[in-house]
Amino acid sequence: MNKVSFGKKLTGLIAAAVLTAGLSGQALAQKTIKIGNVEPMSGPSASVGVQGKQAREMAIEEINAAGGIKSLGGAKLELVYADSKSDPTVGVSETERLINTEKVNIMTGCWNSAVTYPATQTAERYGVPFVVPVSVRDTITERGFKYVFRVAAKDSWWVRDQFRFLKDMQEETGVKMKTIAFVFENGDWGTGFAEKWRDLAKKDGYEIVLDEPYPSTATDLTPVVTKIKSANPDVLMLVSNAADAILMTNTLAEMKVKPKVTIASGGGHADPKFLENTNKNALNMFDEVEWNTDVNKPGAKETNAKFKAKYGYDLAGESVDAYAAMYVIADAFERAASTDPKKVRDALAATNLTKGPAMIVSYDGVEFDESGQNKNAGIVIVQVAEIDGKLDRVTVWPKAARHAGYKPVFPANK
Amino acid sequence: MTAVIQAVINGTMMGAMYGLTALGLTLIFGVMKVVNFAHGSLLMVGMFTAYWLIKLTGIHPYLALLFVPPLLFFFGYSMQNLLIKPVFKAEQQVREPLTVIIVTTGVWYVLDNLALMLFGAEYRTVRTAITGTSFSLGEIIVSIPKFSGFLVSLATAAGLLLFMKKTRTGKALQATSLDREAANLMGIDQYRIYNMAFGIGTAIAGIAGCVIIPFYYVYPSVGVVFDIRAFIIVVLGGLGSIQGAMLGGVIIGLIESVFSQFMPSTWTEAIIYAIFLVILFVKPSGLFGHKQDW
Repeated sequence: MNKVSFGKKLTGLIAAAVLTAGLSGQALAQKTIKIGNVEPMSGPSASVGVQGKQAREMAIEEINAAGGIKSLGGAKLELVYADSKSDPTVGVSETERLINTEKVNIMTGCWNSAVTYPATQTAERYGVPFVVPVSVRDTITERGFKYVFRVAAKDSWWVRDQFRFLKDMQEETGVKMKTIAFVFENGDWGTGFAEKWRDLAKKDGYEIVLDEPYPSTATDLTPVVTKIKSANPDVLMLVSNAADAILMTNTLAEMKVKPKVTIASGGGHADPKFLENTNKNALNMFDEVEWNTDVNKPGAKETNAKFKAKYGYDLAGESVDAYAAMYVIADAFERAASTDPKKVRDALAATNLTKGPAMIVSYDGVEFDESGQNKNAGIVIVQVAEIDGKLDRVTVWPKAARHAGYKPVFPANK
Repeated sequence: MTAVIQAVINGTMMGAMYGLTALGLTLIFGVMKVVNFAHGSLLMVGMFTAYWLIKLTGIHPYLALLFVPPLLFFFGYSMQNLLIKPVFKAEQQVREPLTVIIVTTGVWYVLDNLALMLFGAEYRTVRTAITGTSFSLGEIIVSIPKFSGFLVSLATAAGLLLFMKKTRTGKALQATSLDREAANLMGIDQYRIYNMAFGIGTAIAGIAGCVIIPFYYVYPSVGVVFDIRAFIIVVLGGLGSIQGAMLGGVIIGLIESVFSQFMPSTWTEAIIYAIFLVILFVKPSGLFGHKQDW
């Protein structure tokens, strides 16, 4: 009996010793890297938030399955979510909580520019690196911050490319556009876009016939559409969130308002729900995205197929950038070989990612300039077209990336 | 000019529907002297019921009008009977029972969060046979879903008025609204009348759900969007007044639609709130309200 108990004790001791030794040896290997993630998980932007979450989770699964962060002994990445409800105040307090209570190693999010702007400021104050996948507001990376990095293009680039596209298409088709109308949701995003539209429209010699903000919770957009009708613009430029993009498109059809060219700015118009709910009312509309399923990049088709099989719908610009951002983060930790925020920050600043799964993005790579903006980020213009009796978004610009065999309908309405 | 006429037509149609969303609120207030904070949520329940019915069965959206209101009537009737009546009984001596407000606020949160749990936060729209269709009168274009919604709203208001004036139950509702003690003494079962009032108010929210769903979207907190307007309309038209709710609705609709032809549409919201405040100062009983309601 004694013997047994002694044996048991011995085994116990040995086990304990092995464990302790193992633990100290494995301290690094056991480590998880916590990625704090503030996203709109409820409220009007929740569907984008959920898509971003799913794309991130898929990327994290892949990275962890491939052995995690090897320079940190195979450390696994772990996402910690917080719901911003699209509310800046909630976004900031959740960022504080993630940093102070959850002790995250790095931050990412927040989709809504209005939330990302103060949230990045909070992270900067704590010296925690913040990788912004998509919030477009320019000033997010224009405040001289050291810890904020943006993967996608900023909104002045979105606007820049809308006007480049307009110019190129007029040259290509020989059809001149003279008057232009701006209609945008009155949040940070819409008003930011409108400011830049005005400058570029003046520079390119268009006459601005309508400049109209609207609240994105409006119960009725008929008043706005009536104004568009009276203004009768050649080009209608839109910034809308998801629900109001659908409402706007259906109301335009209802009121038979048909500008020659309609150019949307991603966001609500790029939402997978948009076409489902507007159907042919959206036909021939141009939209702007970071990414489209027909984009000609290696691995894009496969990754999209995988995502679709998992969650039931296609990847969109936001989800692709969210997906890519996880690889940017993994790459930075890999090179930093440390979780020290300063070292991670320096690794991020030195990022030059041009291959790997993240490169399903429409642009060539991720390389941050001094302000933390990805220099290479770019935009794709798509057109809603009917292909084989099915409505789809087809890449039309830049011309080099155009869907093979597709001729853009420009102008869409005579 | 065409734009203004167009705006007047749109504003009137939308306004009648705003009036419809306020009708249940004003009825319940009139009879029970209770501000039903759950009204927006009941509208949301109506919209979701209509949404699923149309989505799953593919029936014409206006056929839903045969099913959704009765369902919602039952829902409202039971809700009052099970949740609100006990509170009323406990506070029999109070003219405007405050605890009931807390109960309706609770119901609001429970319903909204229940919808969030069941359906998620995403907005949903149904493409129905009439979504995005319209007819034209010369240069004026009239949206079919909104025009039908307008007609249904007027019919509902007229029907409710007739019901109140001509039927025994309607008269009992009115009597209770005037003086519940006296009505009680005349042999009217106060709580049954409350059940009826709540049921009818909720059924009207169901009607509103059916006419809104062909052109608007639904998500768990959609009630708030309409609720704030409904409260303003009810105060504007006079608490408890059916005609007042409809007229108040149309006024709000017209402000929203016509004013935005001359200024950024984001301003009209502020103007509506400003008018709300002015009415509270100048004529708190509203256009058709009774003084004693305040």
